[in-house]
Amino acid sequence: MSKIIRVNMDDLTVKEEAVPEKYALLGGRSLTSQITYDEVPPLSHPLGPNNKVVFAPGIVTGTAAPSSGRVSVGGKSPLTNGIKETNAGTKTSQYLARLGIKAIIIEGQPKDKNKKYLLKVDKNGLELLPANELAGLVTSKTVNKLLEKYGDKVGIMCIGPAGEWLMANAGVCFTDTENRATRYSGRGGMGAVLGSKGIKAMVVDATDALGIKLVNEVVFREGQKKLVEALRNHAVTKPGGALNTYGTAVLINILNEAGGLPTRNFSSGRFEGATKISGEAIAEMVKIRGGKGTMGHSCHPGCVIRCSNVYPNPDGSELVSVQEYESVWSLGANCGIDNLDVTGELIRLCNEIGLDTIEAGVVLGVAMEGGLASFGDGKKAIELMEEIGKGTPLGRILGQGASFTAKALGVVRCPTVKDQGMPAYEPRAVKGIGVTYCTTPMGADHTAGYTIAPEILSVGGKADPLSVEGKATISRGLQAATAFLDSTGYCLFIAFAILDIPSGLEGMVETCNGVLGTNWTVADVGRIGLEIMRTERNFNDAAGFTKLDDRVPEFMKYEPLPPHNQVYDVSDEVLDSVWEF
Amino acid sequence: MANPLIIRRCIIAVEVHLFGKLRRFTPNPDHFGESVLLIEFIRDDSVEDIIQRIGIPLYEVGSNIFVNGEYSGLRRKVQDGDRLGIFPDDMQLLYKWYFQKKED
Repeated sequence: MSKIIRVNMDDLTVKEEAVPEKYALLGGRSLTSQITYDEVPPLSHPLGPNNKVVFAPGIVTGTAAPSSGRVSVGGKSPLTNGIKETNAGTKTSQYLARLGIKAIIIEGQPKDKNKKYLLKVDKNGLELLPANELAGLVTSKTVNKLLEKYGDKVGIMCIGPAGEWLMANAGVCFTDTENRATRYSGRGGMGAVLGSKGIKAMVVDATDALGIKLVNEVVFREGQKKLVEALRNHAVTKPGGALNTYGTAVLINILNEAGGLPTRNFSSGRFEGATKISGEAIAEMVKIRGGKGTMGHSCHPGCVIRCSNVYPNPDGSELVSVQEYESVWSLGANCGIDNLDVTGELIRLCNEIGLDTIEAGVVLGVAMEGGLASFGDGKKAIELMEEIGKGTPLGRILGQGASFTAKALGVVRCPTVKDQGMPAYEPRAVKGIGVTYCTTPMGADHTAGYTIAPEILSVGGKADPLSVEGKATISRGLQAATAFLDSTGYCLFIAFAILDIPSGLEGMVETCNGVLGTNWTVADVGRIGLEIMRTERNFNDAAGFTKLDDRVPEFMKYEPLPPHNQVYDVSDEVLDSVWEF
Repeated sequence: MANPLIIRRCIIAVEVHLFGKLRRFTPNPDHFGESVLLIEFIRDDSVEDIIQRIGIPLYEVGSNIFVNGEYSGLRRKVQDGDRLGIFPDDMQLLYKWYFQKKED
């Protein structure tokens, strides 16, 4: 029987609830966003007693469906002040699902703000335990202490010092397959919301879990087979394919060649040092240095794609997992840094302190523009990151994100939408993604619309990228498809395969049907995605957002970006029409 | 009187950047650097003509082809001084789902 567990931090009580019928077909993002909409007052302060944190594994998470170990973390974001869903791949999610837990809702705030708490989850339910001994610890030390006590067969969630200090750039950290504290629901500062509730960590032990009861096993197996086949055959997702061989940083050279790799705080679309931090360079370095270096690492068991990596020091010892596209870009090209050992150290620091790497890199870019360091100065970049880790006054500013830092330093070129730092696709060169940055309820977010073309999913309209209507239609379709995928627990990267291989797309939907007993078809994907988007938008409307918040920062409209020398010229009319459905 | 044949055979060059396994067609296949070829070509050449002149089998070329940073197709005509970026078939991420190719 699946259940929802409610943890009340006002009176430190735990309650198990049956899953209401209206939540029966939801999971992952659709569930965290619906619960946030239903239960969090839109005008509540993100760090106050009325905000909540919702954890939810996806619909098929915990089953044998491939690459489906995502967990969604939702609530109101201290970074954007709007609704937030941020997900990560981790065995912790699979364990929650196998324990029959549809969601965990954390609400209220303890009276004593200095006390830290641990959530211990197992087949008997959830226990709220004191955890003052974990106070102030970086994530790896937190995880190691918990592994000593609870054994290495558990899944762990924790926050770092950044979350305890209520920084708006604090992420939520989960353990990977080998218990590294490296997998992040990073965006939007949900780590600070946990910190505001006194929650430091969660340990999930799935020993003797009942597992997931499939409503229709035949349909599930059929779908699973089709999806695995698609993933194993597609050039991008297959073993030995692009993501497996080079990691997501394969995109560095591609975006750089396209003139869309934001460089030195979004002042150019091409970085002369790009090849040195590319996926090819990472793979080559792993080969040359050997030791602990690994390509084709998986963030959770059961992944076919395996796009993660472990990056070695010169002596072969482990520096960090993972040098992935967004992190290598934000802490590399965006700071003018062309050295993988420096980006690796910066990522390691983010992981330890408990920061989102994208926002942290956008912060450093803004800080460099503001005169705190020169672009390309890796040593100084590391020092600035360490300031955040020490919680110095400067660190407390940098830890609040790019918009806050830009204000503190008087920087006009601040690449944010809804106060969230832009990811690694320059809107002036990749205009379609700019539409998504502007209009998603999440703040500038590439994953909000990264996937399936609208005509495949029948979300309406004709996808002519050159027409005004077309641009909005494409972004809407992509956002809807992503919202659906984020609810299933599947990794967004399955999209590459299921886009080209129709049976893979069918298989994905069939696995959901197998778990839920539904009769969804491919055409339902868009419909369900749009419903999720609308719920999130309604929350933001009630929180005070208007269409005027759906805009790029002004400098992108008057500063032409080399090498294409384009400004962002997608009209407000196009942006607004994304929501005309 | 100018000989039309000579004008037609006037030689100009494009700069071709190759990535991944296609780097082997250049003298500098270093994965940390740029693998670049200067290719002489004949007026009215297309991207495909250039690829064939280098000797890259078409089946090794993916959909990510850029002419001066613009996502382009094989039929696109190339101009003097153009920069071509060509990625192999195992690196065809992202663009084919987002963009229309420029052919002409």
